[in-house]
Amino acid sequence: MADNKPTITIDGQVLAYEPGQTVIQVAHEAGFDVPHYCYHPGLSIAGNCRICMVEVDGWPKPQVSCKLQPSPGMVVHTQSALAKSARAGTMEMLLVNHPLDCPICDQAGECHLQDYSYQLGQGEASSTTAKTKLPKNVAFGEKIVYDAERCIKCTLCVRFCEEITQTNELAMSGRGDHEIVIMTSKGEFDTAYSMNIIDLCPVGALTSRDFRFKSRLWFMDFTESLCTGCARGCNVVTGGRDGAMLRMEPRANAEVNQWWLCDEGRLDYAHVNGADRIASPRIKTADGVWVQATVDDAITAAAVALREAGGDVLLDGGCTLEEMLLARDLAKVMGGKARYAAATGGGDKFLRVDERGANAKGAEGLGLARATKAAAAAVVIVERDAHVPAALRDGAAPVVVFATDAASVPASARVVFPHGSWAERDGLLVNTDGRIQVINRNPAVGPDNIPATADVLEEILGELDPAYDWRGRGGLHAALRSESAFAKAQFPAMQSAGVGVGA
Amino acid sequence: MTAKKKASKKKAAAKGPAGSTPAPARAQRGADGVYPETQILSRNFGVEDSWTLAVAREQGAYTMLEKALATMTPAQVVEEVKTSRLRGRGGAGFPTGVKWGFIPQDSKKTKYLVLNADESEPGTFKDRYLMELDPHLVLEGCLLCAYATGLDVIYIYIRGEYPLSITRMEGAIEEARQAGYLGKNILGKQGFTVEAHVHPGAGAYICGEETGMLESLEGKRGHPRIKPPFPAVEGAFGCPTVINNVETLAHVPCIIEFGGAWFAGLGIQPDPANPRALGSSGTKLMGVSGDVKNPGVWEFEFGITLRELIYDYAGGPLDGRKVKAVIPGGLSMPVLTAGELDVPMGYDALQKVGSGLGTATAIVMDDACDMVEACENIAHFFADESCGQCTPCREGCHWMEKIFARIKAGEGTPKDLDLLEHLFVNIEGRTICALADAAVWPLRSILRKFRHEFLAQMPGQSDPALPAGSAAVGAR
Amino acid sequence: MSAFEASAPAAPPVPASFPPKELRQACDEIVARYPTRMAACLPVLHLAQKHFGGWISPEVEAGVAAYLEVSDSHIRGLLTFYAMFNTRPSGRHEVWVCRTLTCWLRGAAGLRRTALAKAGVDRCGVESPDGRFLVKDMECLGLCEVAPAVFIDGAPHTEVTTESLEQLMDACE
Ligand SMILES: Cc1cc2nc3c(=O)[nH]c(=O)nc-3n(C[C@H](O)[C@H](O)[C@H](O)COP(=O)(O)O)c2cc1C
Ligand SMILES: Cc1cc2nc3c(=O)[nH]c(=O)nc-3n(C[C@H](O)[C@H](O)[C@H](O)COP(=O)(O)O)c2cc1C
Ligand code: SF4
Ligand code: SF4
Ligand code: SF4
Ligand code: SF4
Ligand code: FES
Ligand code: FES
Repeated sequence: MADNKPTITIDGQVLAYEPGQTVIQVAHEAGFDVPHYCYHPGLSIAGNCRICMVEVDGWPKPQVSCKLQPSPGMVVHTQSALAKSARAGTMEMLLVNHPLDCPICDQAGECHLQDYSYQLGQGEASSTTAKTKLPKNVAFGEKIVYDAERCIKCTLCVRFCEEITQTNELAMSGRGDHEIVIMTSKGEFDTAYSMNIIDLCPVGALTSRDFRFKSRLWFMDFTESLCTGCARGCNVVTGGRDGAMLRMEPRANAEVNQWWLCDEGRLDYAHVNGADRIASPRIKTADGVWVQATVDDAITAAAVALREAGGDVLLDGGCTLEEMLLARDLAKVMGGKARYAAATGGGDKFLRVDERGANAKGAEGLGLARATKAAAAAVVIVERDAHVPAALRDGAAPVVVFATDAASVPASARVVFPHGSWAERDGLLVNTDGRIQVINRNPAVGPDNIPATADVLEEILGELDPAYDWRGRGGLHAALRSESAFAKAQFPAMQSAGVGVGA
Repeated sequence: MTAKKKASKKKAAAKGPAGSTPAPARAQRGADGVYPETQILSRNFGVEDSWTLAVAREQGAYTMLEKALATMTPAQVVEEVKTSRLRGRGGAGFPTGVKWGFIPQDSKKTKYLVLNADESEPGTFKDRYLMELDPHLVLEGCLLCAYATGLDVIYIYIRGEYPLSITRMEGAIEEARQAGYLGKNILGKQGFTVEAHVHPGAGAYICGEETGMLESLEGKRGHPRIKPPFPAVEGAFGCPTVINNVETLAHVPCIIEFGGAWFAGLGIQPDPANPRALGSSGTKLMGVSGDVKNPGVWEFEFGITLRELIYDYAGGPLDGRKVKAVIPGGLSMPVLTAGELDVPMGYDALQKVGSGLGTATAIVMDDACDMVEACENIAHFFADESCGQCTPCREGCHWMEKIFARIKAGEGTPKDLDLLEHLFVNIEGRTICALADAAVWPLRSILRKFRHEFLAQMPGQSDPALPAGSAAVGAR
Repeated sequence: MSAFEASAPAAPPVPASFPPKELRQACDEIVARYPTRMAACLPVLHLAQKHFGGWISPEVEAGVAAYLEVSDSHIRGLLTFYAMFNTRPSGRHEVWVCRTLTCWLRGAAGLRRTALAKAGVDRCGVESPDGRFLVKDMECLGLCEVAPAVFIDGAPHTEVTTESLEQLMDACE
């Protein structure tokens, strides 16, 4: 603290602050767990829930830390008797009319009301008073359901529609304890970002129709990853259970998606749970019948077929940098070139970009050409039909195909490998701004035991090129670093939020 | 409804041209011991057609604006108001001159005056008299404020339930505009350009709270804002804004006429020993409503006692009844019992006895009033009028109402009284605006001062100390 | 507070064309008083409610919203916040009975009973079956020195008794 920054004291700890910060921000940065409902770093301050109250020396009343501006030397207590009793009092008020139907509430397990009420204890007498009845099960458009009894009127959802999307679909209605959130009589959101209010909602008042009643949270696996719906590369957490992907939620990244996701990206995982997922490699026999094969047999068969066919590789613009590098090497061995394909369109002024290939920037960095019309290719890798449509795949007449869904396999194929969806693969993607970010496999999603596409590509390369040395992830990353396009790039440690690339 | 001047038998004396009348002298109790009425603010209330510009001008309207524009700098006007020690008449009693001093003079933004004419505090009806019977005095006060603090636009926020006040103020604005008291370069003063508009409310008590009023003025729900920033820096439309009560500004022309020192000499002096006792200078419209023979509004120099106000002016209790409890100023202040009425009507004196001057319009409850039911009625008001944004007020006010209803229904237990005390602690001082405090104060004081009445309505809790019949009151 | 509808109606209302010819000039003048269009909401809604039979229908709500360039949910938020606005048909005559402390001390509860009985309804805030009355219980109307107070169609009546209230309501068509 030699740099003369002003300081405040929180629970005895002296902390420097930047002008413009509020006490809760200083406290959170220092690791204090000050509870909050209506505060969100991306929205204006409402100061209405009163759960973040702290005691300040010299002030007779407890203060809301989310709105309180520090002044030099201010002494704040988060755990004093006054601070604790003020928060417990607020909690009691929040629960007096709250239905407490946690056993049937989707929010249970990640509900801040449930959390804090556990921490602070429920007030003695709240149960003796009849609860106020308010509307339940109100449709907010097609995707969202609202429960006014669970709602704590923090106005986060309203402020999101006012301040972030500026579409103003929501408003507070009524007054006093009959205040509720209402939606425009148009009945649907104008914004493509409506589902963020579900994440914002600190309680289970806003739930996703898509996720409703699908699973209790504690049965699910969660993995930090990215959305691959477009080249923005929004940071997400994927949630899955028993092979199925159940939901996707944003992870905050100030440089990429702040706290948000678009609805389309969030819901763009139908293909992950498709009925026709390919779960194991297959080989076509001489009489045209598909049989299941072990990975090793399929690799051998693929090598045989490719030695014979040779030529290009056509891959999905959502492939990882590792997959793309290997595809480029493979094409070189086969005397061809690697090309990538990706859909475009649907961009807006906020997060969504026209480029839908999640790693199109990476493909360009590796010098891959963009496939726009049908041309022959020996290998095709396809996760999403939107990127590699039938005309391109069938037109390529490939012999070896990596596909997520059986419907994407052209008739020409002789060896097929299962290609995990992005939620099931590990690797690097370069987003629209040139930032290298990581996707991670969620073990609870997708068919069991499918081989990693990168591993299979390496094996095939090894078969085709006796001089090829197995590189693995470390070796591949080293190779990527030596690419001129990524020479100045910072590679993220796996399992982290991604780092910007110079260009 | 024309404001009704019931009590005063005296006709207001015409004031005549400015400066021709001597400064009114201090009020003295007469030989009969009666505290006299004063007619300074209310001097035109009895004059026929007092609200028209023609009549108002005969009474000297706008001469103080002329005087200020011709002979005083804006800073001198602020100084005169500071000298007068005028305190806000809207309830909080903040020194008006000090508040005007907060307006940044270097700001390039438009500056606003929002005149608080919401008057939705229950039991309060004094501003209505001013707007209906002397709208030009109100407007002159606004213009003096505008001159003193360099304002550009005046919005007069009148509650929607005051149709005649709206009509009279709009009429006054129109007349004043035509006569050159509003508009560009008022009275030829270069650069003194002010517009005025009436903004009608639409039925919400909370819009009397200054920042709730600003939200409402901006076309939103009247959700009060967290202060700071104070309105003087960031008020209406994000610009510097003065907010004053109608009566507060109606005093200003007289202060300009007779001087701040004269005004400061009226009423109750500050206590040099107590820096927080800022005194109660000047006069005040005071009223009484409820269980009295002759409810009404009168103007007094501060100093009349609550008892004198109720017995000498409001006629005392109805025949055969006794005064039981009085809220001295609106609904939002702690009650005083019949034994506590010998307190002077003044900011500091009432605070000292655990209540407050509020709007200085008392509500009297007599011995036929069931205090449990009164509490239910009061709690219902605050629950109904809570804007709903902060948790302790939104949930707490309604919770209190439910408990009083439970006690009234004979289902209460002494534990409910403890629960209420617990709720008071968790509601008071925990919210964005003072509505929640205002809900707690009367309820807590009634609960403490009339606890026996609550116990008497609980099964198995009969209280032998209870005066006969005092809780046995039929539903009203 | 009046009851409110929580769910959005199945079909979005067709916005009424607003302002109608008769209100155009008045509305434009109101808008000109403020630095934002939103600020004109309350005065414009007062005019609209008066013009369209004492209440603001979803269609009028949408029309006003379009005129003032705010969302219809914002307007609905105002209509349900401010006690003077109605979001349901308000009968041919609107009767407000003050319920707050002073009026209650002077007999307001009896007035409410009388008003409801006259209207033939069992609670405040609903139109009478014959469409003649809407009785609303209101908080302090600022006429406490002449309590109890009642407003009928915007006009104040003071020191009202059950008898005088019956007469007043009988005089309503
Ligand atoms: C809940 C609440 C209601 C209020 N209602 C009124 C009111 O109706 N009229 C008024 O002048 N002040 C009212 N006030 C006080 C105002 O917030 C503010 O203090 C006042 O307008 C300032 O003006 P003054 O300094 O001239 O009194 C209210 C305050 C609160 C907390
Ligand atoms: C401690 C304190 C500080 C205040 N500071 C300011 C200020 O800086 N600027 C201002 O315009 N008003 C200031 N006020 C006046 C308030 O804005 C307000 O008019 C007055 O307190 C009435 O409060 P109410 O609305 O709660 O009744 C202050 C009031 C208090 C009690
Ligand atoms: S919102 Fe939270 S506290 Fe309420 S029912 Fe759901 S999980 Fe329980
Ligand atoms: S729905 Fe959720 S986010 Fe919206 S106000 Fe209610 S609790 Fe807050
Ligand atoms: S903007 Fe693109 S990356 Fe972000 S959530 Fe939407 S589709 Fe996915
Ligand atoms: S205290 Fe009550 S009225 Fe004031 S802001 Fe909070 S909820 Fe609204
Ligand atoms: S988080 Fe601070 S008041 Fe809600
Ligand atoms: S209490 Fe009814 S008019 Fe004031």
